[in-house]
Amino acid sequence: MKALPIIAAGLAALAASLAQAQYPDRPIKLIVPWAAGGDTDVIYRTFAPLMQKALGGTIVVANVGGASGTKGAKEAQSSPPDGYTIFAVHDSIHSTYYTGVADVNYTDFEPICLVSSTPSIVTASPKTPWTDMKSLLADAKARPGQITVGATLGSTSHFFPAMVEQAAGIKFKYVSYEGTAPRMNALLGGHIDLAESNLTQKGKADAGQLKFLAIASDKRLPEVPNVPTLKELGIDVEYAVNRGLLAPKGTPRAALDKLRAACAAGARDAGFPEAMKKHGTLVRYLDPAAYTAFLQRNDKENKDLAKELGMLKR
Amino acid sequence: MFELLGAGLADIVQLKYLTALLTGCLIGVVGGALPGITITMTVIVVLPFTFGLEPLQGLATMIGVYVGGETGGLITSCLLGIPGKPSAVATTFDGFPMARKGEPGRALWLGIWASIFGGLLGAVFLVATTGPLAAIALAFGPWEYFSLFLLALSMVAGLVESSLAKGLVSGALGCVVTILGNDPVLGQERLTLGIPFLSGGIPFLPVLIGVFAFAQIMQDVERMGGAAKALEAVDRGVNLAVSHLKVILEILSRPFLLLWSTFIGLAIGVLPAIGGSAANMLAYDQAKKFSRHPERFGTGTPEGIIASESSNNANVAGSLVTIMAFGIPGDAVTAVMLGALTVHGIQSGPLFISQHATLAYGMFAAYIVAHGLVLLLLLPGVRWMLRIVTIPKSMLFPVVLVLCTIGAYALNNTMDNVYVLLVFGVFGYAMVKFRFPLAPFILGVILGDQIEINLIRAIMTDPNPWLFLTRPISGGLIAASVASLAFSIWQHYRHRARVAEADADF
Repeated sequence: MKALPIIAAGLAALAASLAQAQYPDRPIKLIVPWAAGGDTDVIYRTFAPLMQKALGGTIVVANVGGASGTKGAKEAQSSPPDGYTIFAVHDSIHSTYYTGVADVNYTDFEPICLVSSTPSIVTASPKTPWTDMKSLLADAKARPGQITVGATLGSTSHFFPAMVEQAAGIKFKYVSYEGTAPRMNALLGGHIDLAESNLTQKGKADAGQLKFLAIASDKRLPEVPNVPTLKELGIDVEYAVNRGLLAPKGTPRAALDKLRAACAAGARDAGFPEAMKKHGTLVRYLDPAAYTAFLQRNDKENKDLAKELGMLKR
Repeated sequence: MFELLGAGLADIVQLKYLTALLTGCLIGVVGGALPGITITMTVIVVLPFTFGLEPLQGLATMIGVYVGGETGGLITSCLLGIPGKPSAVATTFDGFPMARKGEPGRALWLGIWASIFGGLLGAVFLVATTGPLAAIALAFGPWEYFSLFLLALSMVAGLVESSLAKGLVSGALGCVVTILGNDPVLGQERLTLGIPFLSGGIPFLPVLIGVFAFAQIMQDVERMGGAAKALEAVDRGVNLAVSHLKVILEILSRPFLLLWSTFIGLAIGVLPAIGGSAANMLAYDQAKKFSRHPERFGTGTPEGIIASESSNNANVAGSLVTIMAFGIPGDAVTAVMLGALTVHGIQSGPLFISQHATLAYGMFAAYIVAHGLVLLLLLPGVRWMLRIVTIPKSMLFPVVLVLCTIGAYALNNTMDNVYVLLVFGVFGYAMVKFRFPLAPFILGVILGDQIEINLIRAIMTDPNPWLFLTRPISGGLIAASVASLAFSIWQHYRHRARVAEADADF
């Protein structure tokens, strides 16, 4: 009878090694914690096929939206760490952790790589009277707490306007609109005044359906040369949403290595920057080591920000 | 618009889409013809097979099932007096007597042609109004959406046959299901009892499969048998020959009836979650009221067949309008379609038609072409469809159940969904046993989240609760929902009074 556990262990090891040898032998689930059609979804639906090429396996995008993107994060965190579940993360994982929205932290995962960076844009409804950022600021000062901002509460779309609030000394009213797509609908219909968006919405801005007031990048972007940066308007805010891939903690080394190599190859694919440009996104590849450092720095910044905003819950 | 529709038609006649559509039509006609198998079940069975297809292929398949099902359901209604699905019940009232009077071919083809005409008239409405309605939907703020969903729930609760109270309770139970899991604003866990499985909330498609497929099949299992009757009819070798021209003229000589029934079907379809089962009864009722010879209804009059069949096909167009313009499922079938869209990464809603114009017009084209394909399938195949009815239910039901289970599993590749299906299958069956209607329950599950988040958004935007009444569209919708509740209470009392009167007579 003593032999039994040994045989069992041997079989398990054999099975494990077999599984690793063949990885990936079935589709890998990429959890996108936001609604279909949103920015994260669009970016990863472009990226997944490129990564797939290098990986030699199928990647299936699964939209698990809800609760400020934390529903999907929770599902990813509790998924078996076998390399068959990966998680499309962005900066909101830090803010939702510190504002107490979710218990999921970036430390529950292994970094794969950073993929992209999307500068935020202050976007107004066409039904608002503002022609530029200055008129918005003047109006906001005259009517504190009355201008409605649609946001995923406790997430990047909430933190960005909150930073603008702080830097410009104004006060907004927040309304819960989760995900970029529903927010843009609400902006178009004039049900909210302002929201964070990015260059993915350029088409609508060009058609006059939305108004880009200011961009939170370092310098003006060639795609929208007429949109001033917040910095040149005297509002010291620089903000972008950075997106990367994570795997649940404990994912086997071999699988991680393959995923990391595939992620690097996908990000370096010649067609990727051009495809991302259409979505207003800059390719920003960071290898696992650099990505880890990035996550640590970002985490601290978000903690400080949550504290400054009075939203720190831990 | 016509260019886009032309492009859509050019797309859909490509082999890869046409094959999908034709397959859908065939499965739909068969599913619709099989008593005990509803269109919802058929579409659920088809769903997992569409995951691997292109979005338009998948949706074309489902539209084929929907159109084929609405038409296929009338075959058994007319020839055997057994409705193939709930939305063909009214067809049996006159179709079967006509068939028994020796005109089975006329009854059948009156129904089929009426379906085609009703469906194509519906297509005009679908193509013409989806865009404008989407623009209106964009003007809908959280107040309007909240009131619209309230109207949908109260109408469904009122329309059901059993008591209004049970309808309302059923709808409320559906909403309760959506409370489980995360709150929609800050993701706090609610009623999860610390069970990780519940922390993600309950996905609605497995609930829908459980309630609509499992619970309903259990009911039919109780009533098994009845195939003998069907066999007998087939063996009688009924003569289905008929002059198509005569039948078409018979329908077109009643333009008012056709238009009015189509309109009823469309209106019922547009209203969220009230399906074809209400449309055909209402259209039949209206046709009887407007007829110069109401006493002929029920004896095999063509008007009854035309009203019922044109309305249930038009209902499909109405439901498609709602899902494409508002992103709200018009009934259980379109709820499954919404799930299919999401699987393909497409967000439906007011921007759907402008952002996914090719897909949207491809869907329109699929809807139009599906009618032609159904006709092509039925012209030579009606007798075969009749034979399908003789498949023993003891073989059919297990297959459908297995396919439903696979469908639930394939949604997310997780067993959790299968457990949800099981639990809600048993729950739905219990509801049926206690005579609680299922439709309001499933509508509650579909709309619960939306009702909650729109209520929260409205209050966060402006804490003044009177806005629900003072904003004109929202106020109108709330008034309509109050009216619909009042109407169903009045109807209930009238019914009771009549019953009491009848008692007094005897």
